Amino acid sequence: MVVEQTKLPTGVSHAKSNGMNENIDHTQLSEWLNQVADKRCKIAFTHLFKFFAPKIQRIARSKFPNEAQSHEVVQETMSNVWRKAHLFDANKGAATTWVYTVMRNVTFDLLRKVKSNREDNLSDDIWPIAEGAVTEDQAYEDHLESNQLLRVIDALPEAQQQVVKGFYLMEMSQEQLANHLNLPLGTIKSRLRLALAKLKVQLGEEND
Amino acid sequence: MIKHHPKFELLQSYVNGELPASLAIGISIHADMCPECQHSIAQLTEQVAEHSFEEAPVRLDDLKSDSFTSFSDDIAEDDLFESMISNITFNDDADVVTEALKREVVFRDKTYELPTALSRIELGKAANIGKLSRSRLQLNEDEIHSSLLHINPGGGVPAHTHKGFELTVLLDGSFTDSRGEYNKGDFILLDGTFTHNPVSQNGCLCYTVANDALHFTQGINKLLNPIGSFIY
Repeated sequence: MVVEQTKLPTGVSHAKSNGMNENIDHTQLSEWLNQVADKRCKIAFTHLFKFFAPKIQRIARSKFPNEAQSHEVVQETMSNVWRKAHLFDANKGAATTWVYTVMRNVTFDLLRKVKSNREDNLSDDIWPIAEGAVTEDQAYEDHLESNQLLRVIDALPEAQQQVVKGFYLMEMSQEQLANHLNLPLGTIKSRLRLALAKLKVQLGEEND
Repeated sequence: MIKHHPKFELLQSYVNGELPASLAIGISIHADMCPECQHSIAQLTEQVAEHSFEEAPVRLDDLKSDSFTSFSDDIAEDDLFESMISNITFNDDADVVTEALKREVVFRDKTYELPTALSRIELGKAANIGKLSRSRLQLNEDEIHSSLLHINPGGGVPAHTHKGFELTVLLDGSFTDSRGEYNKGDFILLDGTFTHNPVSQNGCLCYTVANDALHFTQGINKLLNPIGSFIY
């Protein structure tokens, strides 16, 4: 039997742990984050930076082989803190937890880039920084799978690539292409046909 | 009712960001449907955050080791940090956030809404064998393969085992094997020692991760071994 489960709210309850550390002033950190969010306050941000940056640097240094990468983690994390501070909700958790999430996500994406050469920045989909929300510029960049298509086109033999790109991307007619490439019209037509057959196979079976 | 959850150690690694994307995605999908694991993840995150950002005690080792930064290094770091602050705050713009779009996928005329964790991952065209359909997710993790596996009502995967591990997260529907019934949201991680023969009476859609081809273990199905890599 297919049981339709009601979609439960993904709200993360603010778990008060007993291990709250005495030497972190959580109220102060939250206040600074709110000042950054509401007033774009640079002084509050500087306080946050001085508190977090050296620690982020130390943690990143243990995960990345070179110093430039650990600086990148600091720069990226703190820049996200500056630009996304309005997504922080003090009712849902401590400032440290939120900044940790931002840092972990930046680290994950950078490690994936270093190891798998993938720049897909998946972290915010895996560990959402704000519930049910995505940053606009990251949303569905390749919704129509055009990157995939372009990559497959680039894998075609040069002669076929020229024809496909001319016809589909530059919207030249087959006659124009024949003139432009100084080839008989029949050649253009057959190259296009060959290329399309290959694309079909590629797009259907790619990565199997 | 969800009965199968990730182990504690796995949740810990997930929170630490140490898992491969494919497994982290599996846990994220499960947690989306499982308040219990959501709660554990929230607690673990709070703890590790607290631990990460407390003042590091100065240890004697640090003073002796080469990594102990000299005075001039400290000044260089201060300069670097100052310039980062001014670079970052130079632009006042905040990120605009929008509601996450829901991505849908169609298998054999049935439409499913994909979990957020899968909303931006390239999906290969579905390949079909009998009542099974499978689309690869393009995560590029070498020997680890992630897919969406759809089983039509009455279909199943013949008895098989794995040399590596096999993760199944049920996105919709249900299936059964000798250990019982699995429902939407269940997180099932099997290692190479386990043989099973999942059958889905009413059909289901699963997110699957495996690091090796499956190996069919029974009778005539052994003939299927060449297509073992097809399914997972």
